Amino acid sequence: MAAALLDVQGLDVFFTTYGRKRQVLRDVGFSIAPSERVALIGETGSGKSVTAKAIIGTLPNNATIDGGRIALEGEDVLSLSRDRREALKGTAFSLIMQDPLSSFNPVFRIGTHLDDVMRFADRRNGIRNGKAARRKRIAEVLRRVQLSEPERVMNAWPSELSGGMRQRVLIGLALLHRPRLLIADEPGTALDVTTQDEILNLVNRLVEEEGMALLLITHNLGVVRKAADRVVVMHHGDIVETGPTERIMKEPAAAYTLSLLDAVPALFGPKVTDQPESRGVPIVTIRNLDKLYGRRQHRFHAVKNVSFDLRKGEIFGLAGESGSGKTSVARMVMGLTPPSAGTIEIDGKAAGDRRATQIVYQNPGTSLNPRRSVEQTLTLPLASIGMRGAARSARLDELMQLVRLPRSYLGKYPHELSGGQKQRVAIARALAAEPRILILDEPTAALDVSVQKTIIDLLLQLRDELGLTYLIISHDLSLMRNFCSRIAIMLRGEIVEEGRPAELFAEPEHPYTRALISAIPVVSDDEEHLKPKVTETERQRFLVAATQ
Amino acid sequence: MAELQMLDPNEHAVSGRYRLWWRFSRNASAVAGSVIILSVVILAVFAPWLTPHPKDAGMVVDFLHRHQPPSAEHWFGTDKVGRDIFSRTVFGLRISLLLVVGVLGISVPSGAVLGLCAGYFGGWTERIIGGLTNIMLAMPPLVMALAISNLLEPNLFNAMLSITILWWTWHARLVYNVSKSIATEDYVEAARLSGAGPAHILFREILPNCVPVISVKTTLDAAFVILFGATLSFLGFGVQPPTPDLGTMVADARQYLPEYWWEVVCPGAAILYVTLGFNLLGDGLRDMFDVGS
Repeated sequence: MAAALLDVQGLDVFFTTYGRKRQVLRDVGFSIAPSERVALIGETGSGKSVTAKAIIGTLPNNATIDGGRIALEGEDVLSLSRDRREALKGTAFSLIMQDPLSSFNPVFRIGTHLDDVMRFADRRNGIRNGKAARRKRIAEVLRRVQLSEPERVMNAWPSELSGGMRQRVLIGLALLHRPRLLIADEPGTALDVTTQDEILNLVNRLVEEEGMALLLITHNLGVVRKAADRVVVMHHGDIVETGPTERIMKEPAAAYTLSLLDAVPALFGPKVTDQPESRGVPIVTIRNLDKLYGRRQHRFHAVKNVSFDLRKGEIFGLAGESGSGKTSVARMVMGLTPPSAGTIEIDGKAAGDRRATQIVYQNPGTSLNPRRSVEQTLTLPLASIGMRGAARSARLDELMQLVRLPRSYLGKYPHELSGGQKQRVAIARALAAEPRILILDEPTAALDVSVQKTIIDLLLQLRDELGLTYLIISHDLSLMRNFCSRIAIMLRGEIVEEGRPAELFAEPEHPYTRALISAIPVVSDDEEHLKPKVTETERQRFLVAATQ
Repeated sequence: MAELQMLDPNEHAVSGRYRLWWRFSRNASAVAGSVIILSVVILAVFAPWLTPHPKDAGMVVDFLHRHQPPSAEHWFGTDKVGRDIFSRTVFGLRISLLLVVGVLGISVPSGAVLGLCAGYFGGWTERIIGGLTNIMLAMPPLVMALAISNLLEPNLFNAMLSITILWWTWHARLVYNVSKSIATEDYVEAARLSGAGPAHILFREILPNCVPVISVKTTLDAAFVILFGATLSFLGFGVQPPTPDLGTMVADARQYLPEYWWEVVCPGAAILYVTLGFNLLGDGLRDMFDVGS
């Protein structure tokens, strides 16, 4: 493999935290040939980001590289001086920033930001470019990332561009000095599905046209299938399996890869689950719901004329991208914000009964108070319904059993729990006062795929055991396909389509539904073929609408 | 930090208390600061037993030994009426610490409660408390303190009172900022949905998350309060003679400069020592808790 662009061999990395040394990468080795696309895939703690950081040279201070070699174009970067290593940035390799929303300083125009980056890189590399020459190159690069009016973009403030546009600018930034290797860490995950899809297409096209190699770091197998030729699967700091994408997806050799693939919810084909339709009576009735925020000129119509019924025992999904109004609807059902117009009835009464509904938040990291133990968190709702002494202690036991956590976890604090465990505690808290309706706000968005599956299974079991009704709001249609008994698609505050998941996926009527479904990255070719077709003009229309 | 925790599946094996201790023991500034403050507290508490001439803290006159330079008998020399300056300095530290405890003991909790309320409730509560805080902060502190002490009789209690009246505003404003941002956290809303009342949310959900910021600020404040108290005494509005106060001692000895320099330098160095201790500890705590300034 003398011709390899990037060659990593026997990489051992340790982290020292609080005086204890722990190995986070064990004998990691892989290589990337020129213009090859390689994906590093793994879950939280697998070491994929550490590997990328070791290559870029941005490991945290408490990290030590105890062995191994990272060669870029035949040169061992670990033995290079700081300056020489700095000089590689931008030219030999370049990094696409992950978070387009926080990567720009809001007080600089986009053009200034790009010019600064280019000027510093030029200085490092001893290139003399005039301001005009730099501006020309920047405009050229912006055109490459399909920003059709580079002048306008350069004069814009970061806040004036949508997330998708800013992500494009960030990709352009990485291209400035024509790198041979592009490193992308979870590209577009902070963006909506449709935008993420666009970004992936763009990266793919650029890599092909410029003949760059790509190192893609992701947890999403669908993204891998779309944008990588070869996959390196990582688990707990080890490389579990390496191989061509096609083979890994079809016949994974390692059990871990198989379990990863199994955890991806299917969209079409034999692996999908159809939740039975509920024949129960409507427990929540929503009619002509409207919500306006702000006053006069700044008025924002978040929810427009939304009506639906939530039947007892069903799992109703509100799907939509950011800004579609799905969260506003959920908050109104919870009684957290009053509707501007329309009615919400729960069990025939106006909403407001605190004990009927409870909510499970998206991110268990922020929905549990870091300074309160599990027991304190769970005791609060019990105390507020007047439960004390032995009854309370018995109920705590019961709750822990319901969410399948050992009783000993009552004494733990959130930082001692994993993401999935935290979400179980959040579910237990929501169930404590025996609500009839649970609102699930992207309940698995912050979790790894395999953990997602266990939480979804738990929620399904709980619904059967306790006779609950769920209202789930999410942008993740693949999750909802298998979890919901009915789905409503929201666009700009309105429900544009509603139906049973099987019907919705087989024959989506509204073009937006089609655009959403076709943007979901899937893991098999069969599913890819079953996706609805969207014309380019249709897609562009919704892209602009949803990202602005 | 957040990123590290994410990468490391075994992170939760380390308990929170151990982490704090680990960070503390490796933070030179925090350790040095605590050693200094501990030494000051021990000296102050056991002053009558640790000082060579405890009686000199009061009204003792020994003109035979006035203005003596530092020696084995009198480490810091003697003052204009022949009292041992070392003993008086140690007793002065006592007054300084008393001032700190008194001022911060009242102004930190009251400022914190007002800040919590303003941040969490918003609306009129926020406007009234915010307005009051801004008005107080707009007044020049020394002038205010002098005015208050002037109205009342100059003594330790009134000096404490005048500083306290000024001091709560800083904590109100600090805690207000923190509590306003924490009030929007999901866990606060979740607690409210679980049926928690405002008292529970303020003191059980929000306050514990303000503790790092409050403790850093309080420690740094302790140094300011000592300086402020010394300034008041120096100007004659604080502790009155013969009670040994560091500021008063410096003021009294000023007229004998430069011949009898030790009479100014020694109590001055004591002020420096204790202030430095609090500042080091405060800085160290800030690094430990990773609190922005």
